[in-house]
Amino acid sequence: MSGLDLAQVRELFAQEAEVRLAHLDQLLLQLEKTGGDESLLRSVFRELHTIKGSSAVAGLDEVSRVAHELEELVDDVRTGRQLVTPEIIDTLLAGADRLGQVIVASQGTTTGSQLAAVDRPELTRERIQAGAENSPVAPAVRDSAGVVMVPMERLDELVRLIGESASAHLRVGRMLTEKFGVDATLNTEFNDLSRTLNQLQDRAMRTRMVPLATITDRLQRAVRDLARTQGKTINWDVRGTDTELDRGVLVQLSDTLLHLVRNAVDHGIESSAQRAADGKPAQSTIRLHAMQLGSEVIIAVTDDGSGIDSGKVKEQAERQGIDTGGMNEEEMLNLIFTAGFSTAAEVTDVSGRGIGLDVVRASVEAAHGRVEVRSKPGVGTEFRIIVPITLAVLRCLLVEAGGQRFALPFHRVVLSQRFDPASQTSAEGRSVLLVEGRPVPVSTLAGTVGLPAAGQSTGPIVVLADTARRHGFQVDRLVGQRDVVVKGLNGLLAHLPAVAGASVEPDGSVLLVLDPPGLIHRAHRLDRGRAPRVQDAPPATTRQRILVVDDALTIRELQRNILERAGFEVRVAVDGTDALLKLAEEASELILTDIEMPRMDGFELTEAVRAHPSFANIPVLILSSRASEADRRRGLDAGADGYILKSGFDEGSLLIAVNRLIGGRA
Amino acid sequence: MTDLHAVLFPVGVDLYAVPIERIEEVVVAPTLTRLVTAPSHVLGLFNLRGQIVPLIDAASLLGLGSVEPAAFVVVLQSRQGLIGLAVTDLPERVILGAPVGTSELAGTVGCFLVRNRVAVLLEPDSLLAGALLDGERPRSGQRAARRPSAQLDSARTGDTVARGSAR
Repeated sequence: MSGLDLAQVRELFAQEAEVRLAHLDQLLLQLEKTGGDESLLRSVFRELHTIKGSSAVAGLDEVSRVAHELEELVDDVRTGRQLVTPEIIDTLLAGADRLGQVIVASQGTTTGSQLAAVDRPELTRERIQAGAENSPVAPAVRDSAGVVMVPMERLDELVRLIGESASAHLRVGRMLTEKFGVDATLNTEFNDLSRTLNQLQDRAMRTRMVPLATITDRLQRAVRDLARTQGKTINWDVRGTDTELDRGVLVQLSDTLLHLVRNAVDHGIESSAQRAADGKPAQSTIRLHAMQLGSEVIIAVTDDGSGIDSGKVKEQAERQGIDTGGMNEEEMLNLIFTAGFSTAAEVTDVSGRGIGLDVVRASVEAAHGRVEVRSKPGVGTEFRIIVPITLAVLRCLLVEAGGQRFALPFHRVVLSQRFDPASQTSAEGRSVLLVEGRPVPVSTLAGTVGLPAAGQSTGPIVVLADTARRHGFQVDRLVGQRDVVVKGLNGLLAHLPAVAGASVEPDGSVLLVLDPPGLIHRAHRLDRGRAPRVQDAPPATTRQRILVVDDALTIRELQRNILERAGFEVRVAVDGTDALLKLAEEASELILTDIEMPRMDGFELTEAVRAHPSFANIPVLILSSRASEADRRRGLDAGADGYILKSGFDEGSLLIAVNRLIGGRA
Repeated sequence: MTDLHAVLFPVGVDLYAVPIERIEEVVVAPTLTRLVTAPSHVLGLFNLRGQIVPLIDAASLLGLGSVEPAAFVVVLQSRQGLIGLAVTDLPERVILGAPVGTSELAGTVGCFLVRNRVAVLLEPDSLLAGALLDGERPRSGQRAARRPSAQLDSARTGDTVARGSAR
């Protein structure tokens, strides 16, 4: 399966660009209205940057050049060298139109390869060779086997219908037993059918899986082209391309991987001169290794370049107002995933504008995965992306609590054990279980999700973990483990934090899949003796009120702007003391506070709010530039419900955090 | 105004209608799975031939208390996917003439006369917009109060009369 040919790449690009340009237009118009909103600028920038990157891969140099020019202009606005004036917006909009025109024009050329050849003869020839090199016999063989492109919806429909057949089959079995007293499971025909249905279900799920090989050629081409323009000799080493991933996951990752390999070429690998001076071999290596590990796939992008200069990271972080004191090496390195961060000394055509790694992290997290970075000065850098094979199937532990059955995703289950009074103690007024010598708070699962407890308190305990903490949940009984086909809930219900989705059981009933981090959060809140915000929740028609506390006018107004646009009623306070006064005047549904402020800081404010009888239920969200784990912990210990970094702050992340706490009615 | 094809259904003692093109199908009350942590107007989830559909208590969404256990479910298409509305009796197809009055509640678009009874036309999108929700709405107290809904029903009857006479 050789990758797409150039014409296909361009066609794909044209489709992508159409969507992006429409969005870009929208953003620009919004920008004109709101002035220099930073998150908006960043979005504009991101769109242009992505168009630039993709067009370069599609070999559309003209598009790439125009995008680059526009990007420069936006950068001037972003850094304050240029104000947002109607003229500037005009120029940008006109530029976006031109981009569209150039793209449409380039579309025409893809049909006739001669035209493309006339365009840039030397490039095209090179591409043709590149294509010939890495397309051995395999594709021809595959072609003869025949490949049909099928829209995803059809596959989903297929999977759904097969599930439905399987449950109808079970019902028939039950009916045979009940009405005719026949044990269907003793019947060979019946069992054959059930086996076939199971296989069918399994195969149908697999139709959604595609090998990594479907995108590696595109990556290789990007590496090759970029290496040539920069005069670097790079050995592309790819392994595990037959590793399969859900197509949805892979699509989400393909841009991310492109970012990472381009980054590796551009500022991972040193110039030939530098390598010679360091006594390294002239030919550098970029590795893309993929493998499946349990229900996850790990994709590593490794280069043998100069590594990430943690000194520069620190310097840059401090320039951005991030307090790096108390951070260890790993936390420091992870700062490169924050928005607007770049250690590249100068702006190049490729990357190094502080855009990219935050996008990488965001898209990996959107695929329910995580990204890690390891780096050694002078030796190289490795980015690891770890994603679930599919978003559709989760290995789950099935439990019963409060008379209802629930599924708990297995990767969050630390252990499950029988109730043992000996290992159970109490601390700070709540029950605690000792796990590996450490205290872990315990709640009943039924109580946590708001079901009446079944009465018995000797059921087994399941310990769940999120990234920061562990929590034990007592259930009525353990039912077993199973692969669960998880479906998202209807959009109307997407905000339920403790519910990850639902699944149709073989018998046709609906099984709820819980979200462990959401559960833990909920249990903690309930533990603190806070009833789930009920009495003080406003009637559905009134706007929810948010108190924004920050001593910096800009930040305050920025937040006010974002939140008001999202339909919240916003009041502001300049420090903790002021905030308490404002709260006494009128209640709020949420407090959004900075840490460093005169008179009373954010930690003190949070503690004061928690200690106050009538404010104690108000959720507190801390928004700070202090990025160390210690500060985050301190905030949460003080009683904050969330902690977001100013450096990683944008409209989307703020609203998500706010909506998680008080529910979205945007 | 041209005649409007709609599906008419009782919710408690009130009559409601939804434009027929918004209706996917009508099913007999399915087995429900309680959706924990959901707002109280979400009665649960049910399986509609492999699709997971939430069942909404329309009366409670309109602010009219809540309904006896659903006898039938009207499945609607919404922007967010399929949604079930719990109804008290078998829905029927009707043609609505000109509106005979306005309606007050959010999510409704007017009153129509059907065989000397007043039917209120629902606008599913704005009705469901009221259900765009977080998890924690009043629940514990209200859930317990759901079953004995006789008082609620009589309260609602009064409400209907009031609205009927208001026009």
